[in-house]
Amino acid sequence: MFLRAVAVGAMLLVAAVAAGPALGPAGGQAPPMFRTPLNGEPPTLDPYFAVDSASAPIVFLMYNTLVSLDSTGRLLPQAARSWDISPNGLIYTFHLRDDMYFHGGRKVTAADWKWSFERMGSPALKSTVGSVVVAGIQGYDAYQNGAAGIAGITAPNPTTLQITLNPARRGGFLNRLAYYAAVVVDKDVVQRGGNGWFATQDAGSGPFVFKEWAHNDHLTLASFPRYYAGAPRIAGVSVPIVTESQTQLSEYLANQLDFIQVPLGDYKRIRADPTLGKQLLTYPRAQVLFLGLNPRVYTAFKDLRVRRAFAMAIDKAKISKTVFFGFFTPANSIVPPGIPGFYAGYKGLPYDPAGARKLLDEAGVSGKLPPLSIAMNPFSPVSQMMAEPVAAMLKQNLGVDVQLQKTEFSNFIANENKRTVYQSFMTGWSADYLDYSDYLDFLLYSTSPLNRQSYESADFDKLVDQANAAPNEAQRIAIYHKAEALAVTDAPMVPILFSQFAYLKKPYVQGLQTTPAVNGWLPFSGVRIVK
Amino acid sequence: MARYIAYRVGMAVPLFLGAALLIFVAGHLAPGDPVQTVLGDHYTPAAGAVLRHQLGLDRPLPVQFARYLGDLARLNLGTSYVNPGLRVADLVGHALPISLRLAGLAVALATVTGVLLGVGAATARRAILDSLIQVGVVVGLSLPSFVTAAVLVYLFALRWPLLPVAGWGAPANYVLPVAVLAISPVAFIARIARASVGQALLEDYVRTARSKGLRARRVLFRHVLRNAALPVVTTIGLAFGNAIVGAFVVEVLFNIPGIARVAINAILQRDYTVLQATVLVYTALFSIVNLMVDVSYAYLNPRIRY
Repeated sequence: MFLRAVAVGAMLLVAAVAAGPALGPAGGQAPPMFRTPLNGEPPTLDPYFAVDSASAPIVFLMYNTLVSLDSTGRLLPQAARSWDISPNGLIYTFHLRDDMYFHGGRKVTAADWKWSFERMGSPALKSTVGSVVVAGIQGYDAYQNGAAGIAGITAPNPTTLQITLNPARRGGFLNRLAYYAAVVVDKDVVQRGGNGWFATQDAGSGPFVFKEWAHNDHLTLASFPRYYAGAPRIAGVSVPIVTESQTQLSEYLANQLDFIQVPLGDYKRIRADPTLGKQLLTYPRAQVLFLGLNPRVYTAFKDLRVRRAFAMAIDKAKISKTVFFGFFTPANSIVPPGIPGFYAGYKGLPYDPAGARKLLDEAGVSGKLPPLSIAMNPFSPVSQMMAEPVAAMLKQNLGVDVQLQKTEFSNFIANENKRTVYQSFMTGWSADYLDYSDYLDFLLYSTSPLNRQSYESADFDKLVDQANAAPNEAQRIAIYHKAEALAVTDAPMVPILFSQFAYLKKPYVQGLQTTPAVNGWLPFSGVRIVK
Repeated sequence: MARYIAYRVGMAVPLFLGAALLIFVAGHLAPGDPVQTVLGDHYTPAAGAVLRHQLGLDRPLPVQFARYLGDLARLNLGTSYVNPGLRVADLVGHALPISLRLAGLAVALATVTGVLLGVGAATARRAILDSLIQVGVVVGLSLPSFVTAAVLVYLFALRWPLLPVAGWGAPANYVLPVAVLAISPVAFIARIARASVGQALLEDYVRTARSKGLRARRVLFRHVLRNAALPVVTTIGLAFGNAIVGAFVVEVLFNIPGIARVAINAILQRDYTVLQATVLVYTALFSIVNLMVDVSYAYLNPRIRY
């Protein structure tokens, strides 16, 4: 009786489950979908807010910028067919394509760009993208204080967009325009859609169109047949949300995914594998991994000699070789290779334990320094992989006891922002857009919210201001190099390594282009699947 | 019985209020903040203030709690803090059936297998079978699900590619996660079933039934199993709880968009509204399962009256 009841109950349950509505199709997709995962659910798909690692790649596939970058970091025309720059370097006239369409079917015009840039810089919206892209335009400050629009942006006719820059903040304007979030949006979609307009549609003109967003499960993008550069040669992009990197790897091995980022812990094994080794793609990433020193909490860091001693006691080459098998390279400077103007040949501070101990003696703190704790950014296991050898080196070379502090991301970022919690922190910074300002202005300028080291140097600030007002790129980079050298020797942070991307790509995927920025790839408009 | 059920449902109201208050306070007191998590490295005090105001997080905690309760009373779970375009009810409505189906299947599988093994062990003539089952039970109880998951994925998805590694949608996607979720409940249902069947077999009424000449099978089904069922049913209730909790590992490993993954994301991102909703869902699930177990006692044992 009991057994029978159990069996019947179980069968009913199985039947109920099998009849369930959400069982859905068997995941059978048209063959030429390109399948690559996201690490997490995107918090938004509004391009002006999509600045995290989950939202950015999706936005990147659906929208267009005025100019873009190729695999080598060279500027290319995109929505702008060409541009002229006035002799004083302040007026940019963009000649727009007349064959670019929004996914809704309407042609993209110069007025759309003006509307988009004003939305991006809107004081009500407070988008950080706006503060990168349009803050250097004449009239931006007035717009923040209530003016009707940004006076420096005009659209004399549908294919001409003219932008006048503020002389004091003109630096790197084209590089900023190539920021993946500096895109044009279809105002009809944004205005009609209200809050959360991006949840069911996109407002872009890029190679792929929003099709479906099943939260915490997957996103599907279809290719856009009227894309100005020709319809992509894949049916679309299928983007499952797979939070575990090991699960991503297993799915790749089981041919359920075409392109994945390699978990660092598996890198060595994959490289040695005769089959997988051939599918491995590695290339430089515009990312610097560094130890931030916070003098507000660990007061000994107020003394330049102590900061410099810590920087000189860390053997970057050894960490690169022994922990990262040479895959990540020692960082002598702050701005990584891949950023235009990279300070090649700059030696930075040497690894010199004896010199470091001497500096501590001079500062009168030798043997008296309190234990230091290093908080590790939990976003990636890399922070811990770097913090462990650094702790050993500081103990061995300077006699400082180091504790490693582990926490979760939400807590880490909140404490970092407070600036009064962590004595030091191991973290990294990757490029949003390929420009010097993305590193030096953000990370070290005294009033920047991201200056979590609380670095205050009037000389450094002055150099950065000069760079931003420099009349041309060559002069600007020369000034930035001076600022960078100053920051390295002042040692508010210790740049330790420059990282690389490691991806696995199936041999039947062709035409994929990489970049040192963002997630490491350019929109898949040229990708083909040749089976 | 109807009165008893009404009483139990009524008791659930303060339980929910308590759970809502606890999770609200715990969530807001925990270090970390949804605004800074969402904005990440693009956080500025100005951008943070705008978002904080939009989300209503700049109001005093009691005001936020009162507003939350008011919305809850109107069955409005609000929108996600991290993704303001997303209604929490939709998120839960999509994720919950997936987890329930997963847990339901795992419990069904565990019940059938566990009872069969338990009865088999209790009635086995040869002690070797009993010992084998006992060893299996210990192994099943000791193996953490992330280990069994890895082993099963390696064997059945990579070594012999019979099943998908992860994902959701096709019937084949159910097999491995359900198996992983069921392993530990199988073991403890088998253990309890063995013990209670073994005990019932020693009762006088069983000897009487046998002496009347009833066939062994009839004795087992009619007399032994019904009397041995109470502890087993309690265990099935526990197994359901176990499957729900086990989903926290299984949904992540197998990439299943269920309620446990929603909860984990909400915890990591301090997405308070979503977190509160998932805790309430779990409270409701456990209350319902407990009630069902208690009600089934009365059905199984006529001496129990409410």
